[in-house]
Amino acid sequence: MDSLKDGHFTFSRDTVEQDFTLLTAALDASITGIIITDNRLTDNPIIYCNSAFEKMTGYDRKEIIGHNCRLLQREDRTQKERQQLREGIDQGKPVMVEIRNYTKTGTLFWNELYVSPIKDASGKVTHFIGIQHDVTRRKQAEAELENERQLMEQRIEERTQSLKLGQEYVESIVQTVRESLIVLDNNYKVLSVNDHFLRTFKVNKEETENKLLFDLGNGQWNIPRLKELLEKVLPTNNPVVDFQVEHDFPYIGHKVMLLNAHRIEYSGEYKDRILIAIEDITDRSEIEKRKDDFLTVASHELKTPLTTIKGYVQMMNRFMPEETDEKFKDILAKTAQFIDRLSNLITELLDVSRIQTGKMAIHREMFDFDQMIAETVEGIQAASKSHQIIIKGEPIGSYNGDESHLIQVVNNLVSNAVKYSPESKIVEVHKAFVSDYIKLSVIDNGMGISAEDQQKIFERFYRAGDIQTKFPGMGVGLYICDQIIKQHGGTLWVESEKGKGSNFSFTLPTKEAPGKK
Amino acid sequence: MSKKKVLVCDDDTGILEMLELALESDETVIITESNSLNVIPLIEKEKPDLILLDLWMPVLSGDQILRAIRQQTDTQSLPVIIISASLDGAKIARENGANDFLAKPFDIDELFNRVCKQIEVGC
Repeated sequence: MDSLKDGHFTFSRDTVEQDFTLLTAALDASITGIIITDNRLTDNPIIYCNSAFEKMTGYDRKEIIGHNCRLLQREDRTQKERQQLREGIDQGKPVMVEIRNYTKTGTLFWNELYVSPIKDASGKVTHFIGIQHDVTRRKQAEAELENERQLMEQRIEERTQSLKLGQEYVESIVQTVRESLIVLDNNYKVLSVNDHFLRTFKVNKEETENKLLFDLGNGQWNIPRLKELLEKVLPTNNPVVDFQVEHDFPYIGHKVMLLNAHRIEYSGEYKDRILIAIEDITDRSEIEKRKDDFLTVASHELKTPLTTIKGYVQMMNRFMPEETDEKFKDILAKTAQFIDRLSNLITELLDVSRIQTGKMAIHREMFDFDQMIAETVEGIQAASKSHQIIIKGEPIGSYNGDESHLIQVVNNLVSNAVKYSPESKIVEVHKAFVSDYIKLSVIDNGMGISAEDQQKIFERFYRAGDIQTKFPGMGVGLYICDQIIKQHGGTLWVESEKGKGSNFSFTLPTKEAPGKK
Repeated sequence: MSKKKVLVCDDDTGILEMLELALESDETVIITESNSLNVIPLIEKEKPDLILLDLWMPVLSGDQILRAIRQQTDTQSLPVIIISASLDGAKIARENGANDFLAKPFDIDELFNRVCKQIEVGC
């Protein structure tokens, strides 16, 4: 190929035809659409197109030659790229646009169009070369990407919105809750408080947030025991539960507050923060105190006439003539029995109230355990001729405990055994030492207790199944017994099977009662 | 043998009547008083051998009377049995120097026992 030198065509008359054929073939071999328009003719018509252009647009060469390029835009005339093209052509400058074109069959394709002017020696634009790339696929990818991005943005927006809503939701709960809430950092500095806190303590955010908990107000939370709980117990993953603070608070006066604290354990931004919930129980404790006072007075007042009645009934017994008939004696004995029951009920009522408010105190004194059991059993034996109550086991000796309360327990267990075993004759009371404990068991062969009821009989006011109709009572006896034994540092439990009798046992520690203060 | 004097002080007249009836015998004279303010003068006047004393009484309570009795030299060893329906009755009785305590409602026989322990009558 003579006409090619150093990579450039060098035309000569001899090779021009060959060269031209070669160049045309090269143009047709390109996958880039190429057109040439003649600017000197009216409306700048297309005068050449290569086969790539034909392929891209679906037009034959003969269908396109002589037309202006706008043919490719069909009715889609409002594209701003047309304006750019127009300006470039008018000014004879090269332009590059991405423009929507349509094939002969009307299918949209994106055309990356590069228009380059050809100038003659005088600088006048004679022709334009249009270089076209079908960039539909890229455009589609771009559109998809854009779409994806918008979708993502929308999702983020939605998530943010939902997070915000969630936060507002939680916030509104925190603000609505009728309990004061404080959040502390791990140095006991107040990070935030809820509205209820501010209202309860009549303080504002400024004097509360960013202050140390122990410095708030007049130092109402600066309690050594509370400090110790927060500093030593909380970090061991144990919450502070129902810590009672009684204090003369600034602005609001004497109040009783119940404090619960919890440390955030999960890792992350909030780790080691401390949440404190404070409940004002002033009114509640006041009401409880009044209820206690009322019950104390009521029981005292009820027992007073009962004392007189009991005395008279016993005197009637004393002064009863020899010849009194058995029926009358029986009536008097029954009367005495029910006076005792009434007396016990009044005592129980008061005990329940005291246990509930944690005021039932145990007064320990040395007493003869064996004698206590013997006397208590004797008392019940005297009133219940139907059963024989047998004391077995080893002697215990003296014990340091609250005798009157323990009598109450033994009384309750033994009379229950008698009461709930109407068909059987024998109730056994068994004393033993087990390790460091005294163990007392009361065994009957009565109706027994179902597994389900065994769970509940130690609860307050619980009465097992059909018991209520046959054996009236308040259902507090075992609850009180359980509490009394617990206060002594022991346990009370039952082993029983329906129809096969029950075995109620309790233990009492013989070594110094474990740390119940 | 001269009769023993037992002074019973309780603001409830029902109990007073009942106790008077129960404790009266050939060996004892019972003096009852429902107004606790009168107790101290009554002790001086009657010089009883035993006092049965209630705790919860209006104006002057049983423990106050008991402390007063224990503070005076001529009555400091006078036997006093506290009879009360109060829950901390036993504790109050012990702390204020009572000789014995009996919770209301009590057993009449038990009362006789306790009285007997103090003044050896009605045993």
